[in-house]
Amino acid sequence: MLRYFVRRMAFLVLTLLGATIVIFSMLHLAPGDPIDLIVGPNVIPEVRENIRHQYGLDRPLAVQYLSFMKSLLHGDLGNSIIQHKPVSELIVERFFVTLELSLTALVISFLISIPIGIKAALKRNTVTDYALMALSLIGISMPTFWFGLMLLYIVAFKLRLFPVSGYGTWRHLFLPALTIGITDAALLARMVRSSMLEVIRQDYIRTARSKGLPERVVINRHALRNALIPIITLLGLRIGWVVGGSVVVEIVFARPGLGRLMVDSILARDYPVVQGVMVVLTTCIILGNLVADILYAVVDPRIKLK
Amino acid sequence: MKELKGFSKVRLFVAYIMIALCVFLGILGMVFMESPSVAAERKVIVQAMDRDPDILDTIKAAWYSDALIYLHDRLISRDYDFRYRPGLATGWEVSEDGLIWIFHLRKGVTFHDGTPFTAKDVKWTIDTIKDPKTASPSAGDLKSIDEVKIIDDHTVQMVLKYPFPNLLFNLSNTALGIQKAGCYEEYGEYYGIKTVMGTGPFMFKKWVRGDRIVLVKNPDYNWGPEWMSNRGPALFDELVIRTIPEESSRIMELVTGGIHVLRDVPPLQADKLKENPDINIFIDQSTKLGYLAYACDKKPFDDVLVRRAINHAVDRETIVKYIFSGYATPAYGYLPPALKDEYLEESEELGYKYDPARAKALLAEAGFPNGFETTLSAENDSTSKRLAEVLQAQLAEVGIKAKIQLYDSASYVAMLKAGQQDLFVRLYSWPNADILDWFLLSAQFPYPNHSRWCDPKTDELINSAATAPTWEIRAERYKEVQRYLIEQAVWCPIYIPDKMLAVRKEVINFKNHPWMIQYSDGIDIVTK
Repeated sequence: MLRYFVRRMAFLVLTLLGATIVIFSMLHLAPGDPIDLIVGPNVIPEVRENIRHQYGLDRPLAVQYLSFMKSLLHGDLGNSIIQHKPVSELIVERFFVTLELSLTALVISFLISIPIGIKAALKRNTVTDYALMALSLIGISMPTFWFGLMLLYIVAFKLRLFPVSGYGTWRHLFLPALTIGITDAALLARMVRSSMLEVIRQDYIRTARSKGLPERVVINRHALRNALIPIITLLGLRIGWVVGGSVVVEIVFARPGLGRLMVDSILARDYPVVQGVMVVLTTCIILGNLVADILYAVVDPRIKLK
Repeated sequence: MKELKGFSKVRLFVAYIMIALCVFLGILGMVFMESPSVAAERKVIVQAMDRDPDILDTIKAAWYSDALIYLHDRLISRDYDFRYRPGLATGWEVSEDGLIWIFHLRKGVTFHDGTPFTAKDVKWTIDTIKDPKTASPSAGDLKSIDEVKIIDDHTVQMVLKYPFPNLLFNLSNTALGIQKAGCYEEYGEYYGIKTVMGTGPFMFKKWVRGDRIVLVKNPDYNWGPEWMSNRGPALFDELVIRTIPEESSRIMELVTGGIHVLRDVPPLQADKLKENPDINIFIDQSTKLGYLAYACDKKPFDDVLVRRAINHAVDRETIVKYIFSGYATPAYGYLPPALKDEYLEESEELGYKYDPARAKALLAEAGFPNGFETTLSAENDSTSKRLAEVLQAQLAEVGIKAKIQLYDSASYVAMLKAGQQDLFVRLYSWPNADILDWFLLSAQFPYPNHSRWCDPKTDELINSAATAPTWEIRAERYKEVQRYLIEQAVWCPIYIPDKMLAVRKEVINFKNHPWMIQYSDGIDIVTK
């Protein structure tokens, strides 16, 4: 178990190293100059060079990268060029806004997808199954951006049940979380169904039925538990992917989250912020996978972490 | 059976949790449902913007949040006719050679922390902007000032290097909001993020990045400029400036009453909003100009005949009608008419009207009877993209085959700096004639002089206008600059978008100001 952790941690460091190199070079190779945005073109050249020097942007790329990694090892993500504030502070401010959204969306997607997936599996090849799967196909095909706007238009604009945009209360959280939750649920429901179908055919389910257990117990206790194992992998990935899915939703619903911070910083070429967010993200994804692997072992005693 | 019992206990537990959660959320919901009626006692006006500022510091910001207008006062104010009037300075005298300006400062003015406002605050603000170590984006605006001298607590003298009548404009700009002397030392690195100190009609309460800026009224304010009907404190309690990046979300917020004021109404939404009984739309001419430019140092754009041909090829009326739903004016000159003093009235008369036959003839005369191939660059926003597509079609009519290239804004600037442009679409927004200095002086080459126009005569005309001894002579000389630019067809001016403001009817006594909304001047909100 310990060896397993050590190996995974080493893997985390390696992945981070690779990811930072890729992100760093892609960012700096893209055209555009953050200095333009802070001083404007009318400033005397010495001042520009001064600022460039202050942020170390006048050094060769490799040197910049090494110094970035060096401060990273000290837990320092540097200072934002545009926002005049330490990157770590900016990320912390935004991280919880996004986490709140992602976790709520996750809960919603599970609440919707598990019953639907089970129902569809049990009623396999019936009208119910086809209808539910058609619904999920629609859910998968809908762009989040469009679906978010539609929810906004109907629920907040026409029915006026929730505020249109903003951040702060659960009423502000509900629609964005529902947007992500439903689109995620569509995909999850299909996975729950197929994994359920696989389990239901197993011998131990037949045994459980034949020893006279009520169907409810067979499904909940024997089938669902085993069917959930592949879903947990997905959960792990999803926890890590807190930002990706929410960028668009954060823009539509005007939530000041990490996704928006990242997009704004990419557009402004605010290198330290983008690097910082990416480091946090990569770490989240890797840790999410790790958590999934551990949960595996917890749920299924047959699996041992080596 | 035993197992089954255990299982149902778990289920019972889950059910309890769910019920508890529902009750908790319900209470939470009721608490927040209550909050609007609590807020009703405090009068709050909410305005929406599409972006969040980087910093709330007039000296260091490159993009100014509207909040800065209300947090600070400036030496000179702008009235409803965009005239320069007393602000924190009750009056000023300019020496005959235009080199010495004396400002008399208002007495009894205090900063939001109670410190009296004096001459040293003016000197500190200007000196800090000019100090290269500050790296202020506004430093260039004050390069005419040689020295700021404190005569006494309420008199300041500015010594200029050369006559510069446009100091009136620069001193009334957002960038010249008067800061409290030594505020950087006093408040440290979080000045402009957690604290802002001014003398304005609103005080800083908080800024939630990416979400909102909250300002509260300054109850001690009684030094509003003379031209305001209400010179005392604002009539409502709080001004909230929210950041809502998505356009449709902003419109829905406005219609549902989540926000009260929306600047920059999109033209395609204007007709719909006009029909809404809860909303007033204020339409005015903006100080913006949309134009098609070209790299004047490259072939074939170095030939004035080609440049004139392009000007004749563009059908401005069609563009105004179909891209802006009529909420714009065709442009033929280089400044918008809203700049009353400097605008050249005969721009349209001297300019180039839509005439494809004439365009073809000019191209043939320049040696391109079959036109030529080139590129047309634009930023990747919906208006620029559509404009580029229409221009592409109109230019094709006269034989100019342009390939469209789209960029995000940082890459666009980088591309222009590197000089990779042929034809390109731009929009400027600036309420002063010195925008021509900015874009067209050869000293500004290669950027912001992105049309790569290096011409001694232009330099001479602009410099003589900028350093004219008086405002009136300056205005006349800028007209001369415009005549010359039209003759040379340095750009192809296309449109002046309307400035459209949507205000909900709960907001009363609303007066449309040509520059910025003057919230402290009697604007109020009635709550239902």
